[in-house]
Amino acid sequence: MELYELNLHDAIEGLKAKKFSPEELFESCKKRIDSCEDKIHAFITRTEDFAKSQLASNPTGIFAGVPTVLKDNLCTKGIRTTAASKILGDWRPPYDATAWKYLREAGAILMGKVNMDEFAMGNTCGNSAFGPTANPNDISRVPGGSSGGSAAAVSAGYVPFSLGSDTGGSIRQPASYCGVYGLKPTYGMVSRYGLISYGSSLDQIGPFARTIQDLQLVMSVIGNYDPMDSSCFREKAHDFTHNENPSIKGKKIALVKEFQDFTLDAPIADAMNKIKKILEDEGAIITEVSLPVVARYAVACYYALAMSEAHTNLERYDGVRFGYTVKDAAGIKEMFERVRSDGFGAEVKSRIIAGTCLTEPTRCEEYYVAATKVRTLIAQEFSRAFGETDFILQPATPSMQPKIGEVDDDEMKGYEADLYTLPVNLAGLPGLSFFTGYADKLPVGLQLIGPRWSDAELLNAGVIIERHTGSPKIANGGAE
Amino acid sequence: MAELTFTPVIGIEIHIRLKSDSKLFCSCSTDTDAPANTNICPVCMGLPGSLPRLNHKVVEQGMLAGFALNCGIRPKSLFFRKSYFYPDLPKGHQVSQCDLPITTSGYIEVHDANGNLKKIRVHHLHLEEDVGSLHHSASDGRLEGADTSYVDYNRCGTPLAEIVSEPDVASASEAVEYVMNLRRRVIYSGASDVELEKGMMRFDANVSMKCSDGRWGHKVEVKNMNSFKALERAIEFEIKRQKKLMLNGEDVIQETRHWNDAKGITSPSRVKENYRKFIVEPDLPPLYITQEWIDKMRAKMPEMPDVKANRYVSEWAIPREVADVITDDKNLAAYFEACVAAGANPVRASHWVRTEVLRVLNENQLKIKDFKIKPEVLAALVSRVDEGKISTTQGKEVFDYMFANACGIDEAVAKLGITEGGVAGNALNDIIAAVIKANPDVLEEIKSGKDKKGKKLKFLQGLVMKETKGQAKPQEVAEAIAEAVK
Repeated sequence: MELYELNLHDAIEGLKAKKFSPEELFESCKKRIDSCEDKIHAFITRTEDFAKSQLASNPTGIFAGVPTVLKDNLCTKGIRTTAASKILGDWRPPYDATAWKYLREAGAILMGKVNMDEFAMGNTCGNSAFGPTANPNDISRVPGGSSGGSAAAVSAGYVPFSLGSDTGGSIRQPASYCGVYGLKPTYGMVSRYGLISYGSSLDQIGPFARTIQDLQLVMSVIGNYDPMDSSCFREKAHDFTHNENPSIKGKKIALVKEFQDFTLDAPIADAMNKIKKILEDEGAIITEVSLPVVARYAVACYYALAMSEAHTNLERYDGVRFGYTVKDAAGIKEMFERVRSDGFGAEVKSRIIAGTCLTEPTRCEEYYVAATKVRTLIAQEFSRAFGETDFILQPATPSMQPKIGEVDDDEMKGYEADLYTLPVNLAGLPGLSFFTGYADKLPVGLQLIGPRWSDAELLNAGVIIERHTGSPKIANGGAE
Repeated sequence: MAELTFTPVIGIEIHIRLKSDSKLFCSCSTDTDAPANTNICPVCMGLPGSLPRLNHKVVEQGMLAGFALNCGIRPKSLFFRKSYFYPDLPKGHQVSQCDLPITTSGYIEVHDANGNLKKIRVHHLHLEEDVGSLHHSASDGRLEGADTSYVDYNRCGTPLAEIVSEPDVASASEAVEYVMNLRRRVIYSGASDVELEKGMMRFDANVSMKCSDGRWGHKVEVKNMNSFKALERAIEFEIKRQKKLMLNGEDVIQETRHWNDAKGITSPSRVKENYRKFIVEPDLPPLYITQEWIDKMRAKMPEMPDVKANRYVSEWAIPREVADVITDDKNLAAYFEACVAAGANPVRASHWVRTEVLRVLNENQLKIKDFKIKPEVLAALVSRVDEGKISTTQGKEVFDYMFANACGIDEAVAKLGITEGGVAGNALNDIIAAVIKANPDVLEEIKSGKDKKGKKLKFLQGLVMKETKGQAKPQEVAEAIAEAVK
């Protein structure tokens, strides 16, 4: 067994017991990256020199010497941060994102910044100024998005864990596609300071790993209060300590009534049945909840809010203080126009335009303001549902991994696909994307959702499922 | 046909820099005089990934300023993003409470054309962040036509209170009284020092005209006034301009105009007003203010200047004019009250502060807080004159000497060679008053100008010297009588 194959927990234990050195672990991961990266293309920026400088300073902490990668919308001091956009150019932030700061202080070693859809807008990781990333399980397929690079890096065995961000499914869908675990924490659980904003009221940073226990380890480090983020707060202290034998006996797990008529790809439908059976065998009660407002309005509500927030979040990219700029503009107006026209990709521009239209004075009430009200209804609907059930079980995505470049022109399917992930962000809930097994060598994932601040309980439920399904294997990374 | 008359309808928007060591959404210093771009951080520079965090000290300053304008405080207010592109605005939007402000409505009193008190209603006060400052290489200092422009972000994110009035102002003089009263009250509240020379108060005015024939002119927004004088001149200019247009039967175009202080005119703004839209600032939770917090801040509110002046008049019988002058400056009023607290007679102390203290401050370009003679020292001096230990004239000499030499009363008295104990000061004044009262015909002759050779004055002097049993200085007696018969 190679060192890169170790999960986070085992790597920590091995390092602690001095079975191998941090340098050996680093070299093993680097070798793995070197052998697969041509085919996977997960990285935007490799930072092995920085990693070596970290190792040279003998890091301490619970992650001391463990390599990781970060989605490239997380700011890293002095290290290029692009959000996969041309508009950020060679920008090197003067500060670290808090989540990365906490990891760095715990001794984690940065191997690089990984690919994503530009400004987290997309679900294939193909909408990047740096080209697409491939799924390590089948390099002809997409890894999902927008945190595709973070999911692929963990799946391919580059690193035992990584961080991504989830605005409407950007952790849960790629985790499912790549066959790893991914947690979108409760809104406010992890500081967003240093996360390049897409939709501020929806964005949340979360971890990817190959075991639930590893997610728990990462959450114990990043899930801590930060005064730099006003939306980051604590109603109670959270304990992510791993429990070998959690119980789900007597807990209710619901399916969403309104989603039952939707078509699922066969492996996903099979996985639903398999997991239901496992949970029932563990003593859980399978039930049903009704979410009519979610089913009818969540997608429209989400896009109205996300685009309205996005267009104001993206106003700061004007070429004046950082990133891509033009030096030969005739005036300030031309400078702004050219920087933004050349710097942003097509998808980002279309969302900026949509956001601008949705909030302009004549339409603002009808769209943006209406969406904020619908959002309140959606949150209330979930609250009511969680009075009737402990968790909700559903897919993270209804379809198996599409081929790179393959366009799914079935609009209804796209709409239904979004419905599995977006409402969780609208209500600020935690969502766990978990591995269930393989179908024809492709991993199949599902999603478990809980009420706000139930992240630790969700992960405990994940431990039970993992005990039955086993953890995912490291993908072959494109090897023939 | 009757002559047409015009009534100006004016609303005023004021931006005031609130007093705070750190910025509204980060911990950077608010020292805008520091070298360019030295008081900046990722937050006030709007760098990707940075998030605002509300400075609660500024919230308290906003509450105090609101109380000064007779406003209530909203238990819940919100921040919004006000979008437009400009190089001095790093995020491409200004974070402002424009749509759900921290205060409810209030008012400020002014005098109308007939001298009657009227209320100018304040629609609200809200908190917002200031923008950076631009420096252009073009000769006219403006952005357009400049080869290069430089941005200093030190001012970016410094806290502002925007105060929006209802269109209750009917003249330039009402406008000036409104902003002066408002400024004084805000200074009293402690929310801001509102130093005009440092650009801590900026004005915009919305001016329109109502004609007696029923016509209403469109509203014109006049921007770029940074002084009371500029505000007054700009409004006067705009009233004249709009009146002339309407007299000629022309339309007043609804537009934004720029006040050019050097030329003394307004002209259409070259920068097109951007289309602004507001969304809730998703990075800041709503601002909740509890009743306890409101009560705590209200308890910190000092007496307002008009209330204070009224108290001086009613409690201490200080002349209205003197009371108004002293209460105009919060620190001067505090100085005066300290004199009284130290035992000085309020009326006499008020005259000393009104004349001597202000004279010395003006002559030396000083502020009261930098004035070296302590209030208890002035109180002691006033008392000595009061008790007749030294004369009024001597008292003024002692005062000037103490100011010039930074010494105490005893030292000044000794150095000036003044012998205390004679009949002087108010004791002398009382004798003079009695002598004059007993000789009304003599006073009449002096006043009518018949006493060309000063014989009658000498006569009064003799009577006074007799009354004091020779304990007064003849020179002083002569001066005091000359003053008394004026």
